[in-house]
Amino acid sequence: MSKTTNINGKEISIDVDESMPLLWFLRDELELTGTKYGCGIGSCAACTVHMNGQAIRSCLTPVSSVIGKKITTIEGLSEDGSHPLQKAWLANNVPQCGYCQAGQIMGAADFLSKNPSPKEQDVEAAMSAHICRCGTYQRIKKAVLDAAAEMQEA
Amino acid sequence: MNIHKVSRREFLKATGMTAGGMIMGVTLPVSLSAEDSESAFHPDVFIHIGENGDTTLYCGRAEMGQGISTALPAAVADELEADWSRVSVLQGDGDKKYGSQATGGSRSINEFFFPMRTAGAAMREMLVKAAAKSWGVSESDCYAELHYVHNKKNKKKIGYGELADEAGKLPLPKNPVLKTREQFRYIRKPLARHDQGEVVVGKRTYGIDTKIPGLKYAAIAHVPVFGGTLKSVDKTEAMKMKGVIDVVEVKPIKNPFSSVGGVAVVADNTWVAQQALKKLKIEWDPGANKIHNSKEYLEQLVKNVESPAEEIFKRGDVDKALKAAETTHSASYTGGYLSHSPMEPNASLAWVQDGSCEIWAATQNPQEIQKVVAQFLGRKEEDIVVHSTAAGGAFGRKSKCDYVHEAAAISKAAGVPVQLSWSREEDTRTGFYHSINAQHLEAGLDKDGNINAWLQRVAFPSIGSTFNPSQDRPNARDFRGPIAHPYGIANLKLESGHAPAHTRIGWYRAVYDIFYGFAVNVFTDELAQKSGMDTVKFLNNIYDNNKDSEMSSVVNRCRGVLNLAAEKGGWGRTMQENHGLGIAVHHSYRSFLAMLVHVETNGDDVKVHRVDCAVDCGLVLNPDIATAQMEGAVVMGLSLSLREDITFKDGAVVNSNYHDYPVLRHNEMPEVHVHFVDSPESPTGLGEPGVPTFAPALINAIYAASGKRHRSIPIKPMSV
Repeated sequence: MSKTTNINGKEISIDVDESMPLLWFLRDELELTGTKYGCGIGSCAACTVHMNGQAIRSCLTPVSSVIGKKITTIEGLSEDGSHPLQKAWLANNVPQCGYCQAGQIMGAADFLSKNPSPKEQDVEAAMSAHICRCGTYQRIKKAVLDAAAEMQEA
Repeated sequence: MNIHKVSRREFLKATGMTAGGMIMGVTLPVSLSAEDSESAFHPDVFIHIGENGDTTLYCGRAEMGQGISTALPAAVADELEADWSRVSVLQGDGDKKYGSQATGGSRSINEFFFPMRTAGAAMREMLVKAAAKSWGVSESDCYAELHYVHNKKNKKKIGYGELADEAGKLPLPKNPVLKTREQFRYIRKPLARHDQGEVVVGKRTYGIDTKIPGLKYAAIAHVPVFGGTLKSVDKTEAMKMKGVIDVVEVKPIKNPFSSVGGVAVVADNTWVAQQALKKLKIEWDPGANKIHNSKEYLEQLVKNVESPAEEIFKRGDVDKALKAAETTHSASYTGGYLSHSPMEPNASLAWVQDGSCEIWAATQNPQEIQKVVAQFLGRKEEDIVVHSTAAGGAFGRKSKCDYVHEAAAISKAAGVPVQLSWSREEDTRTGFYHSINAQHLEAGLDKDGNINAWLQRVAFPSIGSTFNPSQDRPNARDFRGPIAHPYGIANLKLESGHAPAHTRIGWYRAVYDIFYGFAVNVFTDELAQKSGMDTVKFLNNIYDNNKDSEMSSVVNRCRGVLNLAAEKGGWGRTMQENHGLGIAVHHSYRSFLAMLVHVETNGDDVKVHRVDCAVDCGLVLNPDIATAQMEGAVVMGLSLSLREDITFKDGAVVNSNYHDYPVLRHNEMPEVHVHFVDSPESPTGLGEPGVPTFAPALINAIYAASGKRHRSIPIKPMSV
């Protein structure tokens, strides 16, 4: 039986060198390019995806360790872009160039699942794993807090 | 008149698209060069209203995150009375038919604003005329509103789509009437950006994301020292790896924007290419620049500005005025090399075949790609098809196309379509860097605290050296900022110090204004202290005393932003211990900026609590996008003030990735407040002008908080 991983709800068979980082499997093999390469050393978090609901750096995660796991990328975070974070990102006009934002949103989604009613400082600390060279940090913080508030109401 | 009606045939020829409805071309006076004949037809922008009413702009300028693909269509849509939800923007391929497509210098907003509005207004008048004709009423009985022309008499309305064909046949109005500011529907409003929806679902395609059938992937290692060459490469081990297709040597060509030279691996995916690259045994010959060590080089630059240098500009007699001064003061300032380090590293897809060459890349200058690749392949520029993708940040780096030249060279050699992605390490180490720099300033004050003498010596490797390697110091062109400085000092001397280049120097967001704004504002703060005056009062005095009538507009706008920032940031209030306020004013790219920074210090640690930015960029087209540009400028300014420092050792860059070239993160983000001057002036760009004021305002605030005067940035360089 071939080895598989579940990506955004689909079973995908793994037919590559298993030491390949998930990032390049997603981008080059599956052509899911929403997950971005930024540094390759887990320093910028542009490549963040979820494995069984936890944020991971796909650039450091070999395909071997996602066998039988459930992977969610930005393309699978919601069916229609309606996740509270995606809506809050638009409402606050967060993106400038937009390149890092998929990773930011995936990181924020994991953070809110663990800390549903964060304080400002909590957001700052958690989101410091991510780099945005355009400098959208002020809006990211506001969007995460807005999304948290919406998720609390729901 | 710089707007033209465009026939369907011309539109097809220019864009490759067939269209019914109404088409307008907008040509900018600046893009008409001498080689354009009278009959040349090269609009910068096409505006099309289809028979279904959909309105599309075909635009050549690059969107890099600064929002021009929203602000400019808003200008058209406003005058056109279009429904914003029916307006979309398509980025054109690289082609002379769009006029100059170079994006930089914060020019786009400046150049496009009035022509775009005029085009929108002309189209609106033609639509109204077409509707009046069809109803058999006078035009004054009709008005346009949100994609319809309304009939005041019978209360009927006709949609723009229905009118477009007939309207397109009418003559172009000679003097279309523009709206007044009060009538604007979209301009000055925080209109949402057009391209955000696809960003949050991961669907926006950047240069690194393009896919075509049969695509292969490449990774590259560059010659570590600029000017060096490849001695030998042993590819045996690499070629044994599964999935490796080819190893290609890329040689520089005689063009400053070409590759520095390197060795690339082509493979089935980027990961294999990167792994195989590590297995190559490469020997480089570093060449003459191996003598370059940036620490020692900077020490030499300081020596070069602390002794007489080459005179560039002189007014009055500085030496005499310095001798006669009541008080004198002198100080030297330095800054290091900076790397753009956009989140998307350099990446390009190229597919070179015998009869064709197609390129996809994030670029600030698609026509430069056509030139360089045509030169490399020995083909005509028009035979190189360049598709501009979204850019994952650029900040000046993607105005060069070394990475595209490489992708083309690799595709040609390997005979396959190739997506080349630089690693972060290669991106950090193979840049077109912001200049390392040193400045020495001397000034003389009279007993009332007026500056009577000002000597400024500057040394940095100039961008000109990238084009002309024999340029070994800043030239007169590089001094335009200091020459135009609004202090209006009677005795002024500017000198240029020796600073030969040992690497490639390029445009970095705000360019030389970063270090000019830094030295001038920190020195001004020091002079204010010398004269026992508050810095805001000291600056107001300087502006008041500048009686040069030619400078009065510049002086007034500087004064305006200074006092607005001072007011909003609470200048002059009593601060807690270890807290301080600092202020700086700078104008560049025709926009005027002041920043007031509130900082807290604890030993060498600094925490920036709040920044108040006062901005005069003329009419503010979109306050939300303009505010975002200022937030970004603060982040970049703080980042380069604290830690960003590219270090050279034996000619090669030592930094490699975000751990040793640390850019600002969320935990250090201050609260940013942006205040706009309600200005009657024409709109000017904001991509660059925000950056220069931050560092000096911070340094002045640190002095106010702690008494410690920094004169070199970054203040906490990483030791690498």
